Amino acid sequence: MIKVPKKPLPSLLTVIGYPFAIALTIFSFFQVGFNIEDFKRNWENRKLVTDTLFNPKWEWAIENASQALLETIQIAILASILGCFIALPLSFYASRATNQTTVTYLIYKSFLNFIRTIPDLFWAMLFTVAVGLGPFAGVLALVMFSMAIMGKLLSETIDSIDLGPLEAAKASGAKHNQAVFTSALPQILPNFTAYFLYIFELCIRASVILGLVGAGGVGRIIETQRIFLRFDRISPIIVLILVAVITIEQFSVWLRRKIL
Amino acid sequence: MNIPKQPINQRILKYLITVLIVAGSIWSASGLEITPERFLTAPSKVWILVTAMFPLDLSQEAIDRIVPKVGESLFIAWAGTVIGAIFSFPISFLAANNVSLNSFSRVTKQVLNVIRAFPELILAFVLLPITGLGPLTGTLAVGIHSIGTLGKLSSEVIEGIDEGPLESIKSSGGSKLNELFFGVIPQVMPTITSYWLYRFEINLRASAVLGVVGAGGVGAELINQLRFRDFPRAGTVLVVTILMVLIVDTISAAIRRRIIKGREIKV
Repeated sequence: MIKVPKKPLPSLLTVIGYPFAIALTIFSFFQVGFNIEDFKRNWENRKLVTDTLFNPKWEWAIENASQALLETIQIAILASILGCFIALPLSFYASRATNQTTVTYLIYKSFLNFIRTIPDLFWAMLFTVAVGLGPFAGVLALVMFSMAIMGKLLSETIDSIDLGPLEAAKASGAKHNQAVFTSALPQILPNFTAYFLYIFELCIRASVILGLVGAGGVGRIIETQRIFLRFDRISPIIVLILVAVITIEQFSVWLRRKIL
Repeated sequence: MNIPKQPINQRILKYLITVLIVAGSIWSASGLEITPERFLTAPSKVWILVTAMFPLDLSQEAIDRIVPKVGESLFIAWAGTVIGAIFSFPISFLAANNVSLNSFSRVTKQVLNVIRAFPELILAFVLLPITGLGPLTGTLAVGIHSIGTLGKLSSEVIEGIDEGPLESIKSSGGSKLNELFFGVIPQVMPTITSYWLYRFEINLRASAVLGVVGAGGVGAELINQLRFRDFPRAGTVLVVTILMVLIVDTISAAIRRRIIKGREIKV
């Protein structure tokens, strides 16, 4: 006779979690306000969108948006490079494996956590106020954005490196910084490259919308046309962006496979 | 001592990447007319803005305006994540090539890629004339985008399952449906649930931003205060948003860790 073990009682998480999640869901949908009357009335407006959205004005878009699209890509390139290379040394300080000093570890870790809580467009708004409208604000916003993501991903990777080489370097007389540079850095470089390409993709996507708050790039043109509901001018721009994003994504997937 | 040389093509690759990075940043910086001086003067300008925000505007009126908006962002994010989770779950089975048919899987994956390519903000202002100004538009935008991302992630989880349990169900006479319910779903559920929570954290940031185009949430509040140069109140908006995100992140991360690790069962 096989002895079947008893099914354990449901855990506290399930007992509290599920009802809480369901309650929150119902409450959220009420708060969000799905009103069938409003919806019916607005549904008549759909022609405003559909008539223009699927009637793209290609010549206009290529003439007016290609320069801005290039600007968008340049913002993403510059910001992701700067952000990732600033994050590289920071993440060594924000990892337990390479920083034994609790105070500095906590400072760097919480600094990275802090900049991660502010959404990319909030950064863009703040920088447009601080340094003026234009692509420079967008670059700074995306530097913070990519720095935060790279810092988190990389410091977690450094947490799980093989500590053997580090110890070996120290045993043969290396200083802490030398040991980190010669034996921790090479271990994470492939991950760094992969993350960099991933963050570059994210930056390309994010830089598209920066212009909505005046931080440069193709979003500026989208914003001015959106106010006048000129979806016939926006839709070709969106298609152009899609093509650019997907091309860059494919390239980065190919490069990642090549490197790793 | 004889140290072996790095193979030649690896060295070439290394130099090539360095050149690419340097050339790329110079090209971008010159195209955007950004000079090193601007970077050097930026911190002092940011500092002026930060000092203008303090002391924060903590008057009753400001709190009464800001906190409900931050709450609205939270509800948009949660409702959007629920929409994303509910719709992406069945779709991800269609997209996984080990569960669904090959041609189905390919088509579904492409559809998910296309959905994923639209940022929430662009979805939001396209939906805006139809669904009206307000949080409903934001919820739908967040939800649609989440379907794309969650569908992709979940289908990859399903593709990575252990085939053993499926085989044992099949060999003991189970149907295809039994395989799905007792073989696949129990294996993928923890990871997929933790992805849902992770997506919720991301959606929280996205929904905070959506207010910029009038799709509900705290974003409108921030951009308006910054435009009217009411920096103490803008500071309050920022601080309340950051606090909310930090709290939600901490709770959600703890739950995710617990889901992935599982409960320790004493026998």
